[in-house]
Amino acid sequence: MEMMEKELESPQMSGLGRRAAMLLGGAAVASMALGRRAAAQSSVITDNDILNFALNLEYLEAQFYTLATTGQTIDQVGIGITSGGGAAGGTVTVKANPMVPFATPLLQQFAQETAKDEQNHVTFLRTALAANAVAMPNIDLMNSFNALAQAAGLGATFDPFASEANFLLGAFIFEDVGVTAYHGAAGLIQSKTYLDKAAGILAVEAYHAGSIRLRIFQAGATEAAAATAIATTRATLDGTGNDDVGVGVSNGAATIVDADSNAIAFSRSTTEVLRIVYGGGASGGAFFPNGLNGTIK
Amino acid sequence: MDQLQDFIRRGVSRRKFLAGVGCSGTAAALTLAGCGGNGSSSTTPTSPTTPAVTDTDILNFALNLEYLEAEFYLRATTGSGLSATDAGANAGTVTGGGQVPFATPAIQQYAMEIANDELLHVRFLRNALGSAAVSRPEIDLTNSFNAAAMAAGIGSAFNPFASEDDFVVGAFTFEDVGVTAYHGAAGLLTNTTNLGAAAGIMATEAYHAAEIRTLLAQLGGNYLTYANQISALRATAGGGNEVAVAGNAIVPADSNSIAFDRTTDQVLHIVYLSAAAGVVKSGGFFPAGLNGTITATTN
Repeated sequence: MEMMEKELESPQMSGLGRRAAMLLGGAAVASMALGRRAAAQSSVITDNDILNFALNLEYLEAQFYTLATTGQTIDQVGIGITSGGGAAGGTVTVKANPMVPFATPLLQQFAQETAKDEQNHVTFLRTALAANAVAMPNIDLMNSFNALAQAAGLGATFDPFASEANFLLGAFIFEDVGVTAYHGAAGLIQSKTYLDKAAGILAVEAYHAGSIRLRIFQAGATEAAAATAIATTRATLDGTGNDDVGVGVSNGAATIVDADSNAIAFSRSTTEVLRIVYGGGASGGAFFPNGLNGTIK
Repeated sequence: MDQLQDFIRRGVSRRKFLAGVGCSGTAAALTLAGCGGNGSSSTTPTSPTTPAVTDTDILNFALNLEYLEAEFYLRATTGSGLSATDAGANAGTVTGGGQVPFATPAIQQYAMEIANDELLHVRFLRNALGSAAVSRPEIDLTNSFNAAAMAAGIGSAFNPFASEDDFVVGAFTFEDVGVTAYHGAAGLLTNTTNLGAAAGIMATEAYHAAEIRTLLAQLGGNYLTYANQISALRATAGGGNEVAVAGNAIVPADSNSIAFDRTTDQVLHIVYLSAAAGVVKSGGFFPAGLNGTITATTN
C-alpha cells in the first residue's frame, strides 16, 4: 500500500501518468494489501504447475512475435493452443494487420528466429505436459501496451507493431521478464530433467534479451531512454522497485545485461512476474485480461 | 597435476563421475547411460564407493573459466588483468593480452560492461567458495589464439587484441562455451542456492553471447567467417552443440529452441584446444591445466 502511494506522489507520476497509474494500480493496491501469494489454494507447487506457468508466458511471447512477423496467430500457423484435455484456447486481442513493416533485414531475420523459438517453446512445454497442459488464456496485445506506455510515461498509446523501433520496445517488455521468470522457477523444479530443460529455455530467453537490448542501444539515446522507462515500470509493478536495469551507458560501460551487482541475472517469483504481466491487477489484466490458466495465477 | 595424483591415489577411476560429467560417446567399458550431453542420467559404477563431484568442485571449475574470461576482457579494455587479490594466492602467470585500440565508442562500452561482469563473477565465486576457492591457473592468451586459428583454418596466427573487430571474434571464442558449461553444471549442483546462482550467471553469459553474435552478424565478411570457423572447431572438440552465427541464427539451440549444454569433458577439450578424443589435462588457454579437481578429460 505504502509503495503505491509513494509512487503516485513521485514526480514521474504527474498528470496523465498518475491517472494511468490509477488505471493500472487501483487493483494493484488491493492486491498488495492482501499480500497475495501465487497458488494460495495449493500447499505444494508441482513441476506441472511451474511448467504450465511458463507455458502461459510462452503463449504470450509466441503470439506477439508470430503476429509481428506474419500477421497471424500461432494457432493459425499450426501451433496448438488447446488444453491437454481438449478445451479450446482463448482469443488474442490485437489490432488489424499487426505485421511490423520491417525495413532492416537483420532485424526481420532475428524477429522471425525469435518467433520460431517461442513457438518451439510452446510446443515443447505442451508436449512435456501432455494431458496436463493448460489452454492458452485470453491474451491482449493492444490495450495492454497502451496502459503500460501510460504507466511508463511514454504517452497515451503504444503500438509495438507500428515500426521497427516500436517492435524492439515491445519485445523488450517480454524478454527480460522471461529471463527472471525462468530464473525464479529454477529453484522450484523437482525433476532434474525438467530443470535442465528450463535452464536451457532460460538461456535462450537471455540470448533474445541480449540481442534486443543491444539493438535498442544501437538505435540511440531516445530509444534507450524509452526502454529504461519500461524497465523502471517493471520494477515498480513487481513491488521491488530495484530489480530491473535500463539500457544505456554507466561509467563508460554499456548496460546491455539486465543483472544485479554481482552481474547475476535477476530472479522473480511467480507473484512478481504476475504483477508485471497483469499490469498490477489482482487476478488478471494487461496482457492476460482474465488471468493465466492453471494453478499459479 | 597434484589434483590428478590425488584423484588416482583415492582409487577412483577417472571415468567415474556423476551423470554428465566425463561423459563420452566412446566410453566403452563403463555403462554411462545417456551420455548425450544432457547431464541428466545415471551411472552404473563398476567399482565401489565413488566420491561424487561436489558443488565445490563444480563452482571451482566455473571459477577457472571466469578467470580466463576476466583476464581476456580486462586486458582488452584496460591493458591489465586481475589484481593479486582477485587472482588468489600463488596464482599462475598470464601470457599475452593488451589493450584493444577501440575505434567505436559503443564497442568499447560493450567490452567494458563484459569485463566488469566477468570480474564480478570471479569475485562472487571466490566469495562463495571462501577458502575452498582455487587461485587463477596459468593462462595463455597468445599462443592459444594462434593455435586456435591454425586448427580452425583461419591462418597461422590470430591476435584478438589487434583491433575491435578482432576483439569481437576473440570474445566469441568464450561466451557460447560459458553458456553451455553453466547449463551442463546446473544439473549437477545439489544445493538450490548454488543452482540459482549458476543459472543467473549462465543467463548473463547468454546476454554476452547474444551481443557478440549480433555484432558478428552485423559485421559480416571475414570476421563472421573467422567466428564460424571457431564455432566449427568448438563443435569438433565439444561434441557438436554449436550453431553457426547468421542473421537468423543469433541463438545457438537445439530443435526445441533449448540451449545446448556441455559436459566438463567437452568444455575441457575446447579450452585445452584438444579436439581429438583422449585424456588431456592441459593446453590451449590453460598451459598447466585448470586448478581444482575437474582438470582432466576422461576421454
